[in-house]
Amino acid sequence: MSDQTLSSPAPRLPAVPGVAVALGLLAALFSVASPGFLSAGNLSNILVQSVILLLLALPMTLIIMTEGLDLSMGAVLTLASLVLALIVVSTKSLALGLAGALGVGLAFGLVNGWLVSVLSIPPFVATLGTLGAAQGLALIVSDGQSVVGIPRFVRQVYSGEVAGLPMPILIGAGFYALFHVLLYHTRFGTYVCALGGNRDALTLAGVKWRRLLVAVYMLGGAMAGVAALLMTARMNAGHPTAAIGMEFDAIAAVALGGTSFEKGKGWIFGTLLGVITVGVLRNGLNLMAVPSSVQVACIGALVIFALFLDGMRSHKS
Amino acid sequence: MRAVMERTPRLELAAPFPASGAPLLELKGISKSFPGVKALDDVSFAVWPGEVHMLLGENGAGKSSLMKILCGAYQADQGEYVHEGKRVEIRSPADARRLGIAVIFQEFSLVPHLDIAQNIFLGREFASKIPGLVDRRRLYREAKAVLDLVGLDMDPRTKVHSLGVAQQQMVEIAKALSQEARILVMDEPTAALSDRETERLFEVMRQLQAKGVAIVYISHRMAEVFALGDRITVLRDGRLVGRALPGETSPDELVRMMVGRNVDMTYPRRFATEPGAVVLEVTGMSARNGIRDIDLKVRAGEIVGLCGLVGSGRTEVARAIFGADEVTAGEVRIFGRRQTGGPDAAAVAGVGLIPESRKSEGLALIRTVGENLAVAGLPRLFPNMLFSPGRARRTAEELIARMRIATPSPNQSVAVLSGGNQQKVVIGKWLAAGTRLFIFDEPTRGIDVGAKSEIFALIDQLVAEGAAVLMISSEQAEIVHVCDRAYVMRGKRIVGELSRADLSEENIVRMGMHHE
Amino acid sequence: MSIAGDISSSAPRFHLSKDVEQLLYRLLAAGLLCVALSVMTDAFLTTNNILNVLRQASLLFFLAAGLTLVILTGGLDLSVGANIGLSACLAATVIKVTGSPVLGTLAGLGAGCAVGICNGLMVAKLRIPSFIATYGMLWVLHGITYYYMAGETIHGFPPGFRQIGSGYFLGIPIPVYLMIGFLLAGTIFAQRTVWGQQIYAIGANPVAARLTGIPVDRRLILVYAFSGAMAGVASIVFLARLNSAEGDIGEAMTLPAIAAVLIGGASLFGGVGSVFGTFVGALILTLVLNGMNLLAVNASWQPLVTGVIVVFAVWLDMRGRRRT
Repeated sequence: MSDQTLSSPAPRLPAVPGVAVALGLLAALFSVASPGFLSAGNLSNILVQSVILLLLALPMTLIIMTEGLDLSMGAVLTLASLVLALIVVSTKSLALGLAGALGVGLAFGLVNGWLVSVLSIPPFVATLGTLGAAQGLALIVSDGQSVVGIPRFVRQVYSGEVAGLPMPILIGAGFYALFHVLLYHTRFGTYVCALGGNRDALTLAGVKWRRLLVAVYMLGGAMAGVAALLMTARMNAGHPTAAIGMEFDAIAAVALGGTSFEKGKGWIFGTLLGVITVGVLRNGLNLMAVPSSVQVACIGALVIFALFLDGMRSHKS
Repeated sequence: MRAVMERTPRLELAAPFPASGAPLLELKGISKSFPGVKALDDVSFAVWPGEVHMLLGENGAGKSSLMKILCGAYQADQGEYVHEGKRVEIRSPADARRLGIAVIFQEFSLVPHLDIAQNIFLGREFASKIPGLVDRRRLYREAKAVLDLVGLDMDPRTKVHSLGVAQQQMVEIAKALSQEARILVMDEPTAALSDRETERLFEVMRQLQAKGVAIVYISHRMAEVFALGDRITVLRDGRLVGRALPGETSPDELVRMMVGRNVDMTYPRRFATEPGAVVLEVTGMSARNGIRDIDLKVRAGEIVGLCGLVGSGRTEVARAIFGADEVTAGEVRIFGRRQTGGPDAAAVAGVGLIPESRKSEGLALIRTVGENLAVAGLPRLFPNMLFSPGRARRTAEELIARMRIATPSPNQSVAVLSGGNQQKVVIGKWLAAGTRLFIFDEPTRGIDVGAKSEIFALIDQLVAEGAAVLMISSEQAEIVHVCDRAYVMRGKRIVGELSRADLSEENIVRMGMHHE
Repeated sequence: MSIAGDISSSAPRFHLSKDVEQLLYRLLAAGLLCVALSVMTDAFLTTNNILNVLRQASLLFFLAAGLTLVILTGGLDLSVGANIGLSACLAATVIKVTGSPVLGTLAGLGAGCAVGICNGLMVAKLRIPSFIATYGMLWVLHGITYYYMAGETIHGFPPGFRQIGSGYFLGIPIPVYLMIGFLLAGTIFAQRTVWGQQIYAIGANPVAARLTGIPVDRRLILVYAFSGAMAGVASIVFLARLNSAEGDIGEAMTLPAIAAVLIGGASLFGGVGSVFGTFVGALILTLVLNGMNLLAVNASWQPLVTGVIVVFAVWLDMRGRRRT
């Protein structure tokens, strides 16, 4: 201990984060491999297509920071999208439809949060169980069929433009800003960090952390509801398997972005980069006519690699 | 063989403190039980403004339970709190904080990926003018002010995980100070600090004292007790056993109160006339866990001590020899054969580690006594790899009888045994494995006095039968009474060796201290 | 934890160990389910249906038995379902190309085992948390299988091979014999070998297991390899039963397999559980799903019910732990 001093350590050069390197490499690779990649149209396309994923990845970042996981997000998104489609088709009211979707999301978030926080069930099992439940309910409410006949105004949510900017980009930017403020400028954000880092510290500081943990999962459910709106508008239908497995892309983006599964280490800008990296990977592989199944495999491999790096980093320190 | 237990005279308890004015906080008749243990039994305790109140006691004496009750993390089963003459309740940490009680725990209550300022004000963030947001400018400004107070010259935006142990300790202290605490509780705050940092801390403490803050200070270092303390309270086995003023007592008397017996406890040890062959030979060993250039030897029939302050690298040496931490240079030879590989290879070579934290590293608490006793010896007992429950049970029963483990049957859950009996189970599992070199890391931690003697009798029996023992202990008396030789560590290196003739507490302390 | 409890448990009267008691409860639950179903539907208590239940339970059991060992070490293997898909499609291709069911079977088992070893290496050597490593593996396998199959179906296998899945011996389906075989083998492995005992010890406290000289990494790799190999076995029986292979063949099997293990009394925290318990768990789950089927409940409810059962089983385990 004698070699330790009380002065600041020498300022270290900010290391270039791995996700930025991966993004750069992928972009370089695809711009060489397929000429269409670097066109303005395609780049904006990537961003637009990444928004739904971003909406899931933002709350997933917070959930993973609490040393949790939400495997039910894709299934909840699917169910919310079906409920939204059914309500909009029958009532012609987007507001009611969105309320229904948010209600579904919040309800599942509440159940997830309750299982994890109050019953202390490990998050991956609790949400694996609710994944099954949401998937089953999606099949039940839709009877296995797509819900069609969505009014045209719903589609505007995805394809419309405001001041020359596509709606999804605006929505994505808005929620990104919201989460940035939430994580770095509110008590809630500080406590999310502490939930993963040291729950005893919260208890000693007199913070009722169980409620907070429920709120984090409810936030995830609500965002799945918001994403359901964009998803329905994009597909112009509700589909009973629309977003199955999408939570994996979200987890991948978060893991790539440097958020750690231990100790409450999170980085919201990294998640944004991670989302774009997954978007670039999918888009580039699409342009190269690589089937989506292989894209999934690539993302799987990427996640394992990212976690491996994460482990290496934490071992060193 | 059992040490003579002395009844603590009632006199000491009755001796009142010459208190000036009313106490700031008074606890009366506090009791707290956990399943199977009475952690605190009718303890009364008071602090006056501007004093440093030393709280002494062995491990398990109830100090940490008392602290947790003070800060609201535990609630007392019985007893009352009087704060400045008024009866109050402490049901939660928030209650404690309202009364101005702040606690600095030994295990840090810091969040690694938050910065210093966020940690200092965790749970007490300043509201910004914009509703819902935190006033970050004020957060960092106030944090800087508190850091200046404790003399930690760092940017409050530094993330806590990048700090060293001493720096984290200072942040903990800053956190407590920022609460404008009127009662500050510190649990061995200097354990991780260098001399310079310790001086700085004492200076801060004196400033606080002048402002009328009461400090409850837990320490094992007698020098600190006498240098800083205004009053001393001693706990043992959850009961208040004595109060004293530093000017009217001596270290010996305090130790006697803490352990409840005469200091010259008899240790069962029959010293052999001549040691046997070299069992363990370590030359020039460095390891990833920080230890450097370790040279040591242990012979059959010999107990070799490994001492030094906490954090000097003793446990790391044990782990490196056992293959649990990677060796980067030098070599470990066991019975002359060079050792490579992990703990599995070491176990095959005849090495057994009895780790310091029995419950988390030594035992599978959800399993039975019998299963725990058999687990290390599985490959030896069942060379054809087929497991026989009957044979395992017989082995366990033999060990239970031989080591006198107090358990109704091998099917008893190991979790319900007392600390001493659990320790016997950990030793027993290595006996079943046919181990020839036993590495004990704090073998008597958290074990009551009677069981300690039994453990030492067992260790003596092991070496009498030709085993070799390397023993780490923070209790220098144990090393002095039991060991044939001892190595002293400081700063991750071995700084000296003491032969049986030179082995004394003074010599160990002198070699192990930071300066000179 | 009460003193009184300890004394009564050590008193010299007839008493069962806690594990056996838990198992008896589960067997009782299975019995009650049978009685209830025989009362509620006429179709339940027919030879055909009983054999059908046993055959379905056997498929679930193969997967769940391998998973039991993983869960005993305190880990989880989420890739077993996707592993079935890959192994089945590979086995189907080999059978089609070579015409040899033996080679095909070996290919399926080998593929399953290889995937398991990869999982084991990720968990033991790279120290990635098992649920996330195998979750990544799930999608890698999913992608590979879908790419390889490209939406096609491989069907039509030699009759001899199909016997494995749909044949009978002495009036009882072949998979049921296989199930009994694996039940015995699995129980002997877990209860009566040194490796099995070490696996329990690892699950009970991995740190202590390592410091007790158990080669934890090697045992972990072994366990995940087993789990993968059992997915291979399930894929072969599945293939022989369906007489066709598709990319999504095992996808819906992961959650039920986890449910079977947890119903069987295994703890997600490791160190508690048994292959026989999992067998009972597979029976109970199959009975529930079979009963829903007979009562004409929409099949869409099955994942929901399974999900609820999983959560409930974990909650029971948590509750039991809090008490002790």
